[in-house]
Amino acid sequence: MGNAEGRRSQLLRGVLDLCLLAVMGDGPAYGYEMTKRLRARGLSIVGEGSIYPVLGRLERDGLVETHRAASNGGPPRKYYSLSPKGERALEAGVGEWQAARDAVDGALGLVKAEVMP
Amino acid sequence: MNEFVDECRREWRRLGVPDPVANEMAADLTADLEEAEAEGGSPEDVLGNSAFDPRRFAASWAAARGVTSAPAPDRPSLWRPPIAIALGVLLALLTLGAGLALVSGRSSSSIAFATRRVVAGPGPIRRLLVPRALGLPIVGTHVAGINVIPLALLVFIVGVVGLGLFAAWYWSPWFGPRRYRRHGQPRTPRWN
Repeated sequence: MGNAEGRRSQLLRGVLDLCLLAVMGDGPAYGYEMTKRLRARGLSIVGEGSIYPVLGRLERDGLVETHRAASNGGPPRKYYSLSPKGERALEAGVGEWQAARDAVDGALGLVKAEVMP
Repeated sequence: MNEFVDECRREWRRLGVPDPVANEMAADLTADLEEAEAEGGSPEDVLGNSAFDPRRFAASWAAARGVTSAPAPDRPSLWRPPIAIALGVLLALLTLGAGLALVSGRSSSSIAFATRRVVAGPGPIRRLLVPRALGLPIVGTHVAGINVIPLALLVFIVGVVGLGLFAAWYWSPWFGPRRYRRHGQPRTPRWN
């Protein structure tokens, strides 16, 4: 991994599906709308690739449900929303992420020592 | 923008994506790109660095959705690996032969052909054929001396260059036959 951008890209690659599932928790959204929601949460995908293949895999795996509906005066869009299976996957994925993050924090020496009251 | 979507469509067609699915993906992509443009954004805002590689993006998306059929060969059958290997071997043999001719030609720079009829007294007529297309001189029962070095040199150079081009093509990850070797489908990015 040669630079910070490459590392960031690799890290994001493993959790982008979780991030998409998370922003779908705010309500059904079409592709670009999800990009904007991610950006609003501080996660820019510029330079990182596209969300469409990830959405395609989520749909194929039954983690999201889709329907077509008109957007605000625009053409009909494909809206993605969490399926029950997707909700379970998100819950499990968040737990896995937190465990992995804690482990990495520990390895990097970022875990604060617990102070007993 | 339209060029990007058109390029995606071509890739989906090549990959055998059903038309309704391709139309749906193209419509969604177009709508998102137009919305980004209307907001003053760029294709990169929607697609990230995929905006610079539509074929790769299209293949990745279709593969992720599981809508690609067996890859449609975009090369004539001539380029299937067994035939390509046979062509490579033939080219190598020609080059080797020319090289040997060059080496042996240094000691003897001519080659003799017996042509036309050779009558050896009573008995059947013997005929040795010479390829006329090569333009070799036919001088009856005489011996014709031809300097083979320029011809061998030409064949050798063409052979070496041809082998180089063949190797570059064959081992190319994007154009040669090996691109279908691993998983039976063109290589696609791992972003899915």
